[in-house]
Amino acid sequence: MTELNLNISLNDFHISKGAKMVPFAGYNMPINYKSGIINEHNYVRNHSGVFDVSHMGQILIPINEYNISNLEKFIPLQLKKLKLNKSYYSFILNKKGGIIDDIILSNIILHNSSYFYIVYNASRKKQDEEIFSEFTSQYELLNKNCLFALQGPLSYEVLAKFIKIPNGINFLEFFHTNFNNKTILITRSGYTGEDGFEISIPEEIAEIFLNNLLEDANTILCGLGSRDSLRVEAGLSLYGHELNENITPIEAGLLWAIDKERLKDNFLNGSNHLIRQIDSKLSKKKIGIISVNKSMIREGMSIIDKNKKIIGKVTSGCYSPNLNKSIGLCYINTEFDLNNQLFCEIRNNMELMKETSLPFVKKNYKKNGENNE
Amino acid sequence: MEKIMSEKKYSEDHEWVTIQNDIATIGISNHAQESLGDIVFIELPEIGKSVKAKDSLCVVESVKAASDIYSPLDGDITEVNKDLENDASIINQDAENNGWIFKIKIHNPDQLNNLMNSDDYNKFLEK
Repeated sequence: MTELNLNISLNDFHISKGAKMVPFAGYNMPINYKSGIINEHNYVRNHSGVFDVSHMGQILIPINEYNISNLEKFIPLQLKKLKLNKSYYSFILNKKGGIIDDIILSNIILHNSSYFYIVYNASRKKQDEEIFSEFTSQYELLNKNCLFALQGPLSYEVLAKFIKIPNGINFLEFFHTNFNNKTILITRSGYTGEDGFEISIPEEIAEIFLNNLLEDANTILCGLGSRDSLRVEAGLSLYGHELNENITPIEAGLLWAIDKERLKDNFLNGSNHLIRQIDSKLSKKKIGIISVNKSMIREGMSIIDKNKKIIGKVTSGCYSPNLNKSIGLCYINTEFDLNNQLFCEIRNNMELMKETSLPFVKKNYKKNGENNE
Repeated sequence: MEKIMSEKKYSEDHEWVTIQNDIATIGISNHAQESLGDIVFIELPEIGKSVKAKDSLCVVESVKAASDIYSPLDGDITEVNKDLENDASIINQDAENNGWIFKIKIHNPDQLNNLMNSDDYNKFLEK
């Protein structure tokens, strides 16, 4: 018997808006609405779109000595030195330095108490929550909060029409505010390569909030289909594709997200192994590929050299509306010389690929301290 | 001159067929195009190739997945819709007319009896 999928709070709302629902990480989720994935993708690149990502995990963990020292075993950040109202892309690491999950962790104050606010992947809830429950105390799962990702160059002005956004909020910064007399948590972040905001909001006021966003003609509902092509274009890794327990942040090209001081700390899971990886040559690395012809790159396909020797594997593949070509992320043996031709095996044919630097499409984050320019 | 134009018929694999004399024009149904979503690429079959009913002939790639297109009838491929090479989304816009995919010279007209008319196909979709 197949496992029953859970519904997110606004399941019926999405269906009434024409969502096509598909099972994803144990939840029934909108993959797209009536206008289709490509239109939603382009809307986010040019205007703004809102994704309901309430399947993701959210937790508040009180900041105290006990929780900090326990979490520092798994999370490669100096948790005592995080700046207030900043958000950090980070990981939960296993003993080998492999990635149990990738997370966004914010250092916040709510109702006069300090918390780590962590957003984590739906597909990793079980593993993550086992760690939170064993190693931290007095945490609060925000499982009655919806999570919306408003993404695109017009996100700021769409949100600012009914939410007061503090001056100078940059990408990966946090604020909280009130909406209908309840607290909502907002980080300027997202996973599309565009400017945007992720909004955590109690489910009882979530539909009103969403309708406020959608009153603006510059915003449409978007599903997980366009979220995926947007994040691949932005060269961003996704758990279960580029990231898993057997891949370290070093191999995934994400060393920048690790606090280097923590690598010297034996207490951090896998720190010795990670240091060795930094100092030695890796056996595989993550690259971006573009299909030269029109054939489509899909996850799981083999990357081969001109003699049909397998040299890598596709971890994400999709059609890129911005490039009008198929693009993919893959891991490739580092011994392969990228000056040589490489191919993707597509239905028994060798299709020519071009290696390319990431991202495929330039990111458009707000870092200059200005609000809407 | 004999000119027989059949009503449009449908297969359980969601292809449609119209027949003019002994040439069948084949595409995918509007229902199929809707469930595939945005179509971005099509691998067209080779002209001259002999095909059997239920053979996988070519592949359409939508943003979501690759899907095989089957021939509903035996025959030889006489023509393919070259316009789709430049713009496969014609299938999304007009699956059952301008979005035709290939034509075959049919070998066995009796096979048309295995296909559904549009009423039966609609009932089939409701199942």
